[in-house]
Amino acid sequence: MADKDLGDIANVTVKREGPTRRQLFELGAGLGLMLTLTPSGAFAQGKSELTIAIPADLGGWDQDYLAFDLVGLAVMKNCYPYMIEYGVKDQDGAAVMDTSNIVPVFAESWKGDAEGKVWTLKIRKGVKFPSGNELTARDVKWSKDRAFAAKANVAGVYRMIGLTEADQVQIVDDYTVQFTQAQPSDLSSHIQIISLYVFDSEELKSHATPDDPWAKEWTTKNPQSGGAYNVVDYKPGQEIVMEANPSFPSAKPRVARVKLQVIPAAANRRLLLEKGEVDIALGLSRRDINDMRNSKGIKVISSPSNEFVFMPMAMGTAPFDNPKVRQAMAHVVPYDAIVTNVYGGNARRSTSPVPLDMPGHSSKGYPFSFDIDKAKALLAEAGMSDGFESEIAILAGDVAQERAAVLVSSAARLAGIELKITPLDPGTLFQRRREKTIPLQIASGQMWVNDIEYLLATSLTPGGFLNYAGYDSPRLVEIFQVLNKTSDMATRHTLFDEVQTILARDVPWLVLAQPHFDLPVAARVSGWVQPVDGLLRLRYLDA
Amino acid sequence: MLAPVLVGVSIFCFLLIRVLPGDPILSIVPETATQADIDRTRAQYGLDRPLVEQYGAYMVGVVQGDFGNSIQTNRPIVDQIAERLPRTLELVVLGFLLALIMAIILGLFAARNAGRIGDHLARVGALVANSLPEFWLGLVLILVFFAALGIAPGPTGRISSGIDFEVITGSLIIDSIITGNMDALVSTLHHLMLPVLTLGVIVVAPMMRSVRASALQVMQSESYRCATAHGLRPNKLLYGYLLRETMVRVPTLAALVLGNLIGGSVLVEFVFSWQGFGQWALRGLLLRDYPVIQAYVLVTASFYVVAFLVADVVQAALDPRIRV
Repeated sequence: MADKDLGDIANVTVKREGPTRRQLFELGAGLGLMLTLTPSGAFAQGKSELTIAIPADLGGWDQDYLAFDLVGLAVMKNCYPYMIEYGVKDQDGAAVMDTSNIVPVFAESWKGDAEGKVWTLKIRKGVKFPSGNELTARDVKWSKDRAFAAKANVAGVYRMIGLTEADQVQIVDDYTVQFTQAQPSDLSSHIQIISLYVFDSEELKSHATPDDPWAKEWTTKNPQSGGAYNVVDYKPGQEIVMEANPSFPSAKPRVARVKLQVIPAAANRRLLLEKGEVDIALGLSRRDINDMRNSKGIKVISSPSNEFVFMPMAMGTAPFDNPKVRQAMAHVVPYDAIVTNVYGGNARRSTSPVPLDMPGHSSKGYPFSFDIDKAKALLAEAGMSDGFESEIAILAGDVAQERAAVLVSSAARLAGIELKITPLDPGTLFQRRREKTIPLQIASGQMWVNDIEYLLATSLTPGGFLNYAGYDSPRLVEIFQVLNKTSDMATRHTLFDEVQTILARDVPWLVLAQPHFDLPVAARVSGWVQPVDGLLRLRYLDA
Repeated sequence: MLAPVLVGVSIFCFLLIRVLPGDPILSIVPETATQADIDRTRAQYGLDRPLVEQYGAYMVGVVQGDFGNSIQTNRPIVDQIAERLPRTLELVVLGFLLALIMAIILGLFAARNAGRIGDHLARVGALVANSLPEFWLGLVLILVFFAALGIAPGPTGRISSGIDFEVITGSLIIDSIITGNMDALVSTLHHLMLPVLTLGVIVVAPMMRSVRASALQVMQSESYRCATAHGLRPNKLLYGYLLRETMVRVPTLAALVLGNLIGGSVLVEFVFSWQGFGQWALRGLLLRDYPVIQAYVLVTASFYVVAFLVADVVQAALDPRIRV
């Protein structure tokens, strides 16, 4: 795509940035030749164009086979056609995604039967991919067949709602597809919001080979389009240029053209934003963001987020196998100091392992406050009056985790607990988490499905990939199995309540805070909608 | 020479990265993955097989030019090397040439002014430059030349956004010359300015010291003193007697510096958003992407061997007493 014509260059402003001869001399003879030459062709930033600095390029363009790559997933959320999406609501003056409101995007309608087991997708007619092929039920069926064949991302998520075989997805007519689940589920729509993206099947089939029937090789290298934005240029490792899709069937994107520039160093992303070279800088540290709050021409968008920061304790290993010790730990965490000092006040105090704003959240899930005397008393009950020594593992280079770990270890020392802080690189951290060999660690999570059943499946039951604590409560597993088959909201909420009573007793995690999402942007940028999955939606942005 | 070195390096690297803690498969499976999913993914990449079998299969592929697929991106390693390596080579070769030119000029200047203020200044200056962390120097240069003076482009990669170019060799300088794309050439050279200067400044010191020491030795030789005593012009002395003799000793050290730059340019690439070979390898190392790390080590080792081979040839050309 690097050699693709960028089209109309009438809106290009040529800038002369060359130095004087005197400056050349001062800079040294060795680079003289380079310095005499000046660049041209920088795009003027018009009202309908945004430039966003991102920390990394995406790993590939094939969402069925993409590793957990947040940059890649964020880009794909904007350029793949997703059939359904969450609506938007106001929360404390900020626009956030409303997980109780599912709206059709490329779909005309999305409905389940009375039981919640058979779901029917009706697609809008006349929607076309950039290739000119019309998006039909055949594309949906082929895309889901491909996802099941991949046995990776979507196939794994679909298992939660009883979709395990390609035959469970059937074409009814050219614009209607039916999904027949093995069991009814209250999560069906939420899971489909994550999973119901569609490929241009005719285009991909033209690149398939007998050895590669799903065109994996072609798809991973070539940008996919047809969503809110189409990718019009991709320079690997440098930039992705997207333009609003004229065929997008929902409310049209407000910004016509978006450039994502790959700038790995956070210091450079900040500098480019301050110099007005980019409009949004993603992935800056909280310290950088706080420094920029009063910068001229920059504003910081702050929005309540569903990201939660917690400290799982290895429940199968002493001393954290003792519930009294875990309760004592819950009393040594300086919660208010963490909100103030780590997040600069831009965070909410968590009051349950079930995140704030998740339906069913109750503050009975975590009835603990900073109280060293109570902690000492609980340690005495556990037969550990002299305290103990342990380790807090953090992700190397994560400043927020490091500062939270320092605050927790300092407070724990008051109760006689010595905690050594151990930074781990990602590879080691993944492995030790899987082996459950980390006694105490700092982690953060953002549930893509805003539901306690999903939280239990991924994080609080045996086999859950994010169950870093190694938590195994037979009653919780029973509740999870009941939730899996129950759509009745009254029953579900009763069970949600019981879940949090159990969590308050067992204390698998120390819940630290729920930080706001803070984003420094150029003053002209508006329209930010806080996504529930952390993947920015470009179509709402305005400039 | 190349084959035994590469076989040895490949075995060492293959074993070493597997001793490191960290499982690459855990970084690519989704949060809903079960143990069965993890086992199946591991089998897809052949990581469930015995080590000897894995190594054998890997080397059979390497001999056929197939380095496998990246675990993180599922893309062929060969494609990624073809994409990344030319970017780093362009940067490193220019940085090296700049350092070499500066080293020769400063080294000869210091030798001819040995013991005087110019000599001291050149030596101390080179030593200070050598002591600067490249990450820090790169950021300072960006702040001065981009943020303050506005004469350098922002650290946004290899070329200005919006300039179209055709990729043929992967080197933007060569490609833009081949295609006659002057906009791309000018922008590329402008973007190369600061990273090349950073690399050059960082590595100039050892080569400068070598040139100076070598030149001093030549200046004390009988032939040079005889030429001086005969009253030859300074230019004749410099180009006819001093330069060539001095250069005889430089190629070996230069090869070492060049090899080191190819393997060690990662921080400069990071600061200048270069997305080169080193940055690719660093990400591979952090996520234990075995095929990426193995390919990086093999390619870097190959460059060392080739650089030393070239150095031997150059040295033989400069000094007829040496036979390759």
